[in-house]
Formats: sequence, C-alpha cells, structure tokens
Amino acid sequence: MGVKLLLEKAHVVGIRTYEVYRREGGYRSVEKALKMATTYVVEEVKKSGLRGRGGAGFPTGLKWNFIAKTEGVPRHLVVNADESEPGTFKDRYLMEFIPHILIEGMIVSSYALGSNVSYIYIRGEYAWIVDILEQAIAEAKLNGFLGKNILGTGFDCEIYVHRGAGAYICGEETALIESLEGKRGNPRIKPPFPAVKGVWGRPTVVNNVETIAAIVSIINNGGDEYAKIGIGKSTGTKLMSACGNINKPGVYEIDMTISVEEFIYSDEYCGGMANGKKLKACIPGGSSVPILPANLLLTTAKGEKRLMNYESLSDGGFTTGSMMGSGGFIILNEDQCVVKHTYTLARFYRHESCGQCSPCREGTGWMEKILLNIENGKAKLSDIDLLWDIQRKIEGNTICPLGDAAAWPVAAAIRHFRDEFEWHVKNPEACLTSNYGLAHYADPIHIPVLT
Amino acid sequence: MSLHFSKKILDKVSEIINRYPEGKQKSALLPVLHLAQEEFGGWLDIPVMDYVASLLKIEPIEVYEVASFYSMYNLSPVGKHMFEVCQTGPCMINGSDNIIAYIKEKLNISVGETTADGMFTLKTVECLGACGYAPLMQLGKHYKEHLTKEKVDAIIEECRAKAN
Ligand SMILES: Cc1cc2nc3c(=O)[nH]c(=O)nc-3n(C[C@H](O)[C@H](O)[C@H](O)COP(=O)(O)O)c2cc1C
Ligand code: SF4
Ligand code: FES
Repeated sequence: MGVKLLLEKAHVVGIRTYEVYRREGGYRSVEKALKMATTYVVEEVKKSGLRGRGGAGFPTGLKWNFIAKTEGVPRHLVVNADESEPGTFKDRYLMEFIPHILIEGMIVSSYALGSNVSYIYIRGEYAWIVDILEQAIAEAKLNGFLGKNILGTGFDCEIYVHRGAGAYICGEETALIESLEGKRGNPRIKPPFPAVKGVWGRPTVVNNVETIAAIVSIINNGGDEYAKIGIGKSTGTKLMSACGNINKPGVYEIDMTISVEEFIYSDEYCGGMANGKKLKACIPGGSSVPILPANLLLTTAKGEKRLMNYESLSDGGFTTGSMMGSGGFIILNEDQCVVKHTYTLARFYRHESCGQCSPCREGTGWMEKILLNIENGKAKLSDIDLLWDIQRKIEGNTICPLGDAAAWPVAAAIRHFRDEFEWHVKNPEACLTSNYGLAHYADPIHIPVLT
Repeated sequence: MSLHFSKKILDKVSEIINRYPEGKQKSALLPVLHLAQEEFGGWLDIPVMDYVASLLKIEPIEVYEVASFYSMYNLSPVGKHMFEVCQTGPCMINGSDNIIAYIKEKLNISVGETTADGMFTLKTVECLGACGYAPLMQLGKHYKEHLTKEKVDAIIEECRAKAN
C-alpha cells in the first residue's frame, strides 16, 4: 500500500463532521501555518514540488509567487471545482467524503496568498455537494477557523461556494473568472494573467481542489517530506479516477512510482479488466489527452514499463505518449469502438465550445459530423485526411486551450487507430453491426507511428 | 404565479449578494437564477429573468445572455421530473445508449420531449463528472447511478408515487 495523504481518513465514520475531522488531526496545518510568515508558507509549497492537479501540472509554489501584491488591492483565491473533463470525478470524491480537507487547505492557502475572501467555484450539477461544503464551512467558522481574527492571529478569512450552471468551459480559469462575475463563460485573452488581473480586476489565484487539499500535508509534514514521495518532478500523491471496462471503477490515491500495468491489474486499484476481456486502449488523463493503444500504454516506445506519473505518461510526446492531465483514466476493452468513442468526445467539445474563435467553433462541429459519418459507414477515405487537417487547423489557433483539447483526442485516435477508421469506410455495412475488435492494438509495438 | 420571491428567498438573495464585493452584485447572477428556476416552475420565462435583472440592478439582456449560455437553465417549460442522462464516452462504453433507448420506449417520448401529463422530460447531457458510476442520470439535485432497466422502472414509479 502506498502512502495516502488525501484519502487516508476519507472512510473514518463521521469524517464529514468537524468533530471527527478535528479529532483525527484536522486543522493542525492552520494552527501551524498562521504562526509562520506567509513567505515561509509559500516556500514550503515550492519545496514540495507540488504541481497543479487541474490538468496542466504547473508548479503551485511558482504560481503563488506570481500573485501581484499591489498595496490596497484585495487578492483572491478561487478553488476550481468545475470538474467537467470526461473521465474525471476525483474532486467530487474528495469534497463529498472529506470536505474539511479542502476547507483546511483553503484557509492555509488564503493566508499564504493574502486572500480574505476566497471562493469555491463548483459545477452546477454537484448541487448536493454545495450543501456538504457549506456545512463544513459553517462548522469551521463556528470553531474559529474562519471569520474574523482567526486563532487570534489577526487574519480574517471567509469562504463562499459559487455554483456554476453547466458549462465545461468554465473550468478554464479565465472563463471561470468571467462566470464568477456573473457573465457567460467566455475565456479572456492572456495576458494579463489572473495573478495580475483576475476576478473584478484583482490579483487572483485559481487552483484545483486536489491541489489545495494537498497543501494540508505539505504544511503538516514539511515541503521536503512531501517531495520525497513519488519520483522526479512527480512529487506527492495523485488522485486518479478510473472508469470504463474495469472491475473496480473509482477514485484511487496513488504514489506516482507504480506502473500503469499495476494500476490496471492489481486488486488494490482497478482490479483488472471486467468480464475477462482484453485491454484495447486507454485515455490516461481525461478526455483531452491522447488515447493510447494497449501496447503503447503499458510500455513506452523505448520498451520501458510505463509508470503512472507526469514524465512517464508523456514519454514519447504526442507521437507515442500521452499525458497525466487531470487523472481521468478511461479504459476501453476489445469490444469498444475507438471511432464511436472519439465521436462522443467530439460531440462533447462541440457542445462545450464557447464559440468565440472560429477554428474552435466551426472545427469542433465539422469533426463531430465527419466522425459520425465514419462511424455510420457513410464516409470516404479522404474524410479521414480531412479530419486530420481540421484538427491541425484548430490546434494553437485559439484563445483558450479548449481548441487543443478538442483537437488532440481526434489526432491521437487517427494516429494510432487509423486502420480502424479505414475499416469503417471500407465496410460500411459490417461496421453498423460489428466492430473492429482488439485487432493488433495489444501486439508488441511494430506499427510505424504517424507524426 | 406571482412574480415575486418570498421574504425567505429575498433574504437568501441578499445573503448571496453580500458574498461579493460592493457594487459587484452581478456576480450573484448564476446562484440567483438557480433560485428563480426552482421557485418559478423549473424554467426561466422572460418575466422571471426581468425580475432577476431588477433585483440585481442589471439590464435584462445581461440576464438573457447568461441564461442562454449555461445548459442547466431551461428556457422553455420542462416536466416535473427531468431525466438528464449522460451520454459522453465513458458512459457510452458502459451502456448509456441502452438506458436512453429504454427510457424513450418506456415513457414514449424522444430526447428533448416531455410526457403529455407533464410528469417527465428526457434530456441527454454531457459528462456529469461521475463516469465511474456509469450509466447515470441527474434527477433534480441528485444523481441516480449504475442505472439498469429495473432501476429506471423503480425511479419512474417513485416519481409517480410522489405526485399522488
Ligand atoms: C477547457 C478547460 C477546462 C478546464 N477544466 C478544469 C476543471 O474542471 N478543473 C480544474 O481544476 N482545472 C481545469 N482546467 C485548468 C484550469 O484552467 C487551471 O489551469 C487550473 O484550475 C489551475 O489549477 P492547478 O494549477 O491547481 O491545476 C481547465 C482548462 C481548460 C482549458
Ligand atoms: S478555443 Fe473554443 S472554447 Fe476557447 S475561447 Fe476559443 S471558441 Fe471559446
Ligand atoms: S461520461 Fe458520463 S459521467 Fe462522465
């Protein structure tokens, strides 16, 4: 069993309540941090090597350092609980089972950043979790950890939950800020970055739920101790949400030294493939990251065992690798059709595009249409090239990364599963009633990879 | 239906406005629209949106453009119970297509329609952030997970029983 920093106490009976959480050692990090200088807290976070858990993996300490400290201008911490990337459901788990860890992490982080009013932006569909969080906030306040003059240190802090209303794009930090201001979730052009001009024009740090929860153990045990867990630049523990054709879908806290194979097949985690089926493909970090065939998932192109961490999952770049992303691990068995799965993702991105940039607005619509045609045996071979062309024209040509996020899954599906696409075109009748199956996707790597 | 929030809801609205800096009451728009939708029959009619605009001292257009952007706001009437079934990849590979087909058959409506008695609306939605518990739907404030035909039957019965 690897170390657990976030979920260790998640199943203690009553841990949702302040009493039990406190009895189990909760809120110690607040007592400790509020005695330190704020710069020292930031220093600990830097030492920990913690990287943002929202998807981009940006070093948290560095991000905190960027926050502008203009005299007389309030600053804000905003926690990103929008969690809408297909395959990702880890933040929900954390908030639902152990809400106080987020509140505790937020108090410490608010102190470090100088935020006296901090917000949790939560996706609108998680309506019942709003109640859980508000209950935890009320309890923390009742016990002197929120409100005015916390623990007699002179630090004031309030936390409010702000409920979104159904829009994946509001997970993008500048769209989230617009939404918090009561507007449509249209991403802003950067710069200026939120750290300089964020919500209401004030310096703002947006961090993921899991990132902020990780601050608790960093302060309790020290940044150096945190950095000892894991490997290389993948320090600490990571929450993975696993779904698809496995025996035990769910949320797992991993030490980032384990292999992908162990994660899928061991009883401690996914428990192997459901119904004894074979592994065909996997999207290891949420729908936006490249899908990999079984062979490239388990081993890198160099023939090394692939591990569950930032570096190893991206080994080989987009040619033969993928990304850790948000930790949404989607597993497809031999009965699944990669074309159909990719089609549902293209539909998702078309639905979620805010429409500001033409390559994204138009491109996502075209990709959806073409993929549906291929899936239904109504396409020509040249449509596969057209699809490839469209995704290339989106990537890098938009205001926010949603465009890239829509392009990458399509690119990777064609790159690695081109013969499955061609099979649909060449077998327009058969593809409606049967599927291409496992084919050679689990064979030792021999296919030339398109770049 | 009188177009006014009760005193209780109005207090809640002021409490929400106070979460944001002075003069930034527009920030309360999303939460207040949720309240309005709950209070006024499950959808946002133009007079409802105008009322929200007046409460927050913003222009009606600022409310319309927001209400039309977010998928959880309904701009036309919906049934008493809305089945919002997730259809994105991870749910699809766990059989969401079959669940949607079953609900259509059982309620005799297509996606986007409401039953004649105004009881049920069927809607397909994109990832609900619960992919490990697929297939699933959102029903009001909660999720109904690991759906099977039997579970769907039970949910429909439960909703009908509540109405009686
Ligand atoms: C389209 C899009 C959707 C995103 N959705 C989320 C999300 O749901 N949750 C999240 O934490 N970050 C999301 N992000 C990343 C955020 O923009 C931001 O980088 C992150 O919240 C920063 O927090 P971190 O540094 O703690 O990871 C999204 C980014 C994009 C482009
Ligand atoms: S890339 Fe897409 S989602 Fe992002 S700003 Fe442009 S149109 Fe909107
Ligand atoms: S795909 Fe259905 S909940 Fe995520």
